[in-house]
Amino acid sequence: MSEKLQQIINKQNKALSGDDVKIDEVIQLVGFIVGDEEFSVPILSIQEIIKPISWTRVPQTPEYILGVFNLRGSVIPLIDLRSRFGLETQKHTEETRFIVMKNGDDVAGFVIDRLTEAIRLPKRDVGPAPDTVNEEESMIDGVGKQADRIITILKVGKLLERNF
Amino acid sequence: MDEFQEILQDFLVESFELIEQLDQDLVELESRPDDLDLLNRIFRVAHTIKGASSFLNFDVLTHLTHHMENLLNMARHGDLVIDADVMDVILESIDLMKGLLVRIRDSSEDSGLEVGPCVARLDAVANGTSVPSQGHTPPAAAAAPEPVAAVEEEPDYSGMSEAEVEAEIERLIAVRQAEDAAKRASNAPVSSSAEEEPDYSGMSDEEVEAEIERLIALRQEEDAAKRTHKAQESEAPVSAPVPAAPKADAAPAVKAAAAPAPKKVESKDDAENRGSVVEQTIRVDVKRLDHLMNLIGELVLGKNRLIKINDDVEERYEGEAFLEELNQVVSIVSLVTTDLQIAVMKTRMLPIGKVFNKFPRMIRDLSRELNKKIELEITGEDTELDKSIVEEIGDPLVHIIRNSCDHGIETPEVRLASGKEEGGTIQLKAYHEGNHIVIQIIDDGKGLDADMLKSKSIEKGIITEKEADIMSEKEAFGLIFRPGFSTAAQVTSVSGRGVGMDVVKTNIEKLNGMIDIDSEVGKGTSMKLKIPLTLAIIQALLVGVQEEYYAIPLASVLETVRISKDEIYTVESRSVMRLRDEVLSLVHIGDIFEVERVFDNSEHAYVVVLGLAESKIGLIVDSLVGQEEIVIKSLGEYLKGIEGIAGATIRGDGGVTLIVDVAALMQMAKSVKSTVGQESAEAKGRIGTKNSASDYCVMIVDDSKTDRTIMRKSLEPMGITLIEANDGVEALNLLKQGDHNFDGMLVDIEMPRMDGYTLAAEIKKYNKYKNLPLIAVTSRTGKADRMRGVESGMVEYITKPYSPEYLMSVVKRNIKFNEGL
Repeated sequence: MSEKLQQIINKQNKALSGDDVKIDEVIQLVGFIVGDEEFSVPILSIQEIIKPISWTRVPQTPEYILGVFNLRGSVIPLIDLRSRFGLETQKHTEETRFIVMKNGDDVAGFVIDRLTEAIRLPKRDVGPAPDTVNEEESMIDGVGKQADRIITILKVGKLLERNF
Repeated sequence: MDEFQEILQDFLVESFELIEQLDQDLVELESRPDDLDLLNRIFRVAHTIKGASSFLNFDVLTHLTHHMENLLNMARHGDLVIDADVMDVILESIDLMKGLLVRIRDSSEDSGLEVGPCVARLDAVANGTSVPSQGHTPPAAAAAPEPVAAVEEEPDYSGMSEAEVEAEIERLIAVRQAEDAAKRASNAPVSSSAEEEPDYSGMSDEEVEAEIERLIALRQEEDAAKRTHKAQESEAPVSAPVPAAPKADAAPAVKAAAAPAPKKVESKDDAENRGSVVEQTIRVDVKRLDHLMNLIGELVLGKNRLIKINDDVEERYEGEAFLEELNQVVSIVSLVTTDLQIAVMKTRMLPIGKVFNKFPRMIRDLSRELNKKIELEITGEDTELDKSIVEEIGDPLVHIIRNSCDHGIETPEVRLASGKEEGGTIQLKAYHEGNHIVIQIIDDGKGLDADMLKSKSIEKGIITEKEADIMSEKEAFGLIFRPGFSTAAQVTSVSGRGVGMDVVKTNIEKLNGMIDIDSEVGKGTSMKLKIPLTLAIIQALLVGVQEEYYAIPLASVLETVRISKDEIYTVESRSVMRLRDEVLSLVHIGDIFEVERVFDNSEHAYVVVLGLAESKIGLIVDSLVGQEEIVIKSLGEYLKGIEGIAGATIRGDGGVTLIVDVAALMQMAKSVKSTVGQESAEAKGRIGTKNSASDYCVMIVDDSKTDRTIMRKSLEPMGITLIEANDGVEALNLLKQGDHNFDGMLVDIEMPRMDGYTLAAEIKKYNKYKNLPLIAVTSRTGKADRMRGVESGMVEYITKPYSPEYLMSVVKRNIKFNEGL
């Protein structure tokens, strides 16, 4: 009985890993603008994207942490990516969005200037981050090249890491 | 393997429960060595653990418990008198047993602890004390084989089945046996016969019929053997009929396999005979309860929100028929939610007796160690409180009681010399007081000497002499909680390191509790711990500072007072106020939480007096919003550990409000530089920056382009800046953006999306705009309309049509326009 089950499980695992290989060849990203640059994060690391809602300031935190907001009963930190990247802060506009990203149990909302599009990128078009940035500290996972533009892919894990 | 783990888990849970009870029983036994019931109960615990551990192949544990059982059995039959020395050995062996169980829990193995010496001592005591009555030894020896037989008989049994039954079934039997053994601790003294019963149901008829027959034969033999033993030993009456019953039942039940039924009755009887009341209970994983508690938390938030919406609707549709119905539904929902919350909270409640149980033993050990005579009186052990608190409260109580034994209660000589009874008494009380549980530890020892505490603290550099001078007696008592403080002349194994009481304070603070010390030199000390009943949902006081709100756990709020600014004094650059006969140091919540203070025009301030453990502080806030039931939510991994913030909660309007960590706030208050006195001057500086007419800024809110143009034309001659908005929503957004500092607003009432009344109400929600003049400009002229305008916060009411001059004068008056510019 259990042997049979084991066989089935093995078969399914094989089938699954086979699929994985295929998916791996193309990565799906969501692109957005912060400041003058286009960034992107893997689509699977995004929990949801919402329009700006009110938030509550949290004292004793760095300036880029705007505070916390209520996402259907969960209290989630809100981080301003402009100020996180050292850019001048700007008033929220009609196009401003909160991207709620997750990495394991860590969840946070990020304020971005506007969304661009969902991007499918073949893996071979993704290059490493420029050498000039320190590997450990860098928030950049890699650089994607598409016909006429360059898209910076961000490390979600790094974004969600507390650094104060 | 999983099944084994499950059994092991059951075994451990049960064993620890049994041992908890055991400690208390043993101490009691020392004072009443003749109590047969008590002895029997203790004997059964040892026996049960032995039986179960042998199933699970914990040889070391079996070995130890076997010898314990031996000794206890002798005592049970009156062959051994339990005196203090015997008790020491028994207690030692119990400690060892606990150690083994802990080891099993952590590593699933019972190796690593040396039981040999203890076993030897157990045997020595058993033999040594029975030397004078050598003649009695044979019955004791005869008693021993009985349990041994029970143990040996089991492996025998499984050995037989191995020969007969397939391997898989055999495993099942073993599992079932163990499970059964673990389940029926109460049945333990007659375990060998009782434990076998479920096997019948575990096997299929054809396969086991032959086996069953053999078993019956086996059991009959065994029972016969037992009965002969029993006849010799005059066993406790409880166990005598029990082995007979299953035998009689088993015979007709060979085919029907209906044995479990009579068995259940037996175990019940047995339990009752044991004297402890077995309640109808289910063991539930704490995680499930926590999940349930979380869901209730969500429900409470929903309820709060519903109440808020109900209030809004009530205001808006006053007098409408459906309101009453809505009201009813809302009140039912909130009532049921509250009840549900209490019910779930109750499932998490444990009697504090769980913690108190270990103290009789501790006091006994301590009094022997310290050569003092100490009696412990426990009352209110049935008082219940949340499981998480029960877990946290143990350590502080241990420290306090140790402290009372070591420093409080004097030695018998000293006590007699000062005219007290030789033996000291420590009272441990628990009782409810509102939403709190109070645990009181009272000793009749030498009491605390405030002057001595002060001089010791100065000596150790904990406080300065100056501080000591202004300290009240209560504050001096509080010194014992300072880290590094100790009054003991020398460090003993019991206390004197100056760590314990510091731990007490930290732990009690963690629970949002308070400590109150009362003491009189020569009479004794009373320590009162006041702890909230539950941690997940709390009552909080909501306070406002500028546009921000904070929730302060009500458990830490002693009172709130409204004071005028000139009641605040500055002493050594710290703000203080006089509260009745006390001097209370003050701190502004804005200084703690870096709130930017934009305005401050009131002459009054609210002071929330916070008390935690033994310290007090006054927190100045701008406004008091009210009391609300809040659900504590964590800020998550990213924002955890922010100083001064204990968590967050979601309010009725869906917004997030931060919860103040009172303990941390008190720490922060020490280092925060006070700005209480300086704020008004700063605020005044801000207002005086109008240098030209265009520095004044007025917003015109109207949905009609024509109306806006008329207003603009009327006001343009003044030279002030005019901003236009199409409707309420747009106006509110303009205001929130903060690009302009508006000095006034002209508001139309009839507008799409958001009307003038709603807009006014929304604006008034912001502290910043409390004093922003709103002028209604409308064609609605009814008295009710005017009333509504005033209610929603409009200062003037201009009806259309109006003359440009009139409008201008009204605006000028309201924005305090300086004609000189």
